[in-house]
Amino acid sequence: MAHQAHAYHMVDPSPWPLTGAIAALLMTSGLAIWFHFHSTMLMTLGLVLTLLTMYQWWRDIIREGTFQGHHTPPVQKGLRYGMILFITSEVFFFLGFFWAFYHSSLAPTPELGGCWPPTGIIPLDPFEVPLLNTAVLLASGVTVTWAHHSIMEGERKQTIQSLALTILLGFYFTALQAMEYYEAPFTIADGVYGSTFFVATGFHGLHVIIGSTFLAVCLLRQIQYHFTSEHHFGFEAAAWYWHFVDVVWLFLYVSIYWWGS
Amino acid sequence: MAMSPTAMVARRALAAASQGSHEGGARTWKILSFVLALPGVGVCMANVYMKMQAHSHDHPEFVPYPHLRIRTKPWPWSDGNHSLFHNSHTNPLPTGYEGPHH
Repeated sequence: MAHQAHAYHMVDPSPWPLTGAIAALLMTSGLAIWFHFHSTMLMTLGLVLTLLTMYQWWRDIIREGTFQGHHTPPVQKGLRYGMILFITSEVFFFLGFFWAFYHSSLAPTPELGGCWPPTGIIPLDPFEVPLLNTAVLLASGVTVTWAHHSIMEGERKQTIQSLALTILLGFYFTALQAMEYYEAPFTIADGVYGSTFFVATGFHGLHVIIGSTFLAVCLLRQIQYHFTSEHHFGFEAAAWYWHFVDVVWLFLYVSIYWWGS
Repeated sequence: MAMSPTAMVARRALAAASQGSHEGGARTWKILSFVLALPGVGVCMANVYMKMQAHSHDHPEFVPYPHLRIRTKPWPWSDGNHSLFHNSHTNPLPTGYEGPHH
């Protein structure tokens, strides 16, 4: 057909969904092989395939949108819905871990000493590093908003500065959390307190790393002139994700760090 | 219908995006970044530093509580008895603190 008579994007056939599915299978079964047979080969292979799939799939999307013009307004609207639905699914993911935390902490069993924090657990002081972490993420929310307005106003240098600052704050949070994990007087094996603490904050930390990576990709794209003042959905998606990460931390801080101490 | 916090944040972000032509928006957020956000981080950093100085350096006495230091299945690395972020100064094993400490 010479040209399309509609505004939608009929995507060309792509191998990445298949390689992604294979990678997920190798990673999960590889994890089980590691636990039971002490070999990390399958899991490592799965991880490498996953990274290759992500790189190539998203590279193709950037080619289709930024260079080939397939991301018309209706297509962009669909992408917006998609990102919002994905973030919503992540909200439910975290909801489960908060449920677990409140289930165990609202009615602490006799085995724990009938109290929360359980007997023998020294919780972290919520007004030390956890408070600093809160300030860092809130500040990064301000800088990412500065970045967004800079993009919309065509301020190239300010966009790069504010976006870089946001990413640095993200790295600072990750570094602080890693230090907290090392210095904490309790571990993941310390009963339900350790389990709920490290699983909830651990998945959150993973999402901070993912969000920082997403923002870093946006920084690279901004430097290479991919974004216009009217059309920069990749950045908006990254900013939404980053705000989501910030909000999850606020809930973690109030529930686990503050109330839970 | 009540909106989840995330949906409200997304709505605020979308509303801000639609105000593309509003002048001075970037300048406002730049000022907020350098006058409020980053100094706030600085204050919290100073607070952590001062509190660290006031800490005692001893770790608590070891009590072999059965509900802590659970070892139903060994970890799949090293001797299976050390957590991923194990710190021999602050994390006792089920049998107590390792070796001569501090």
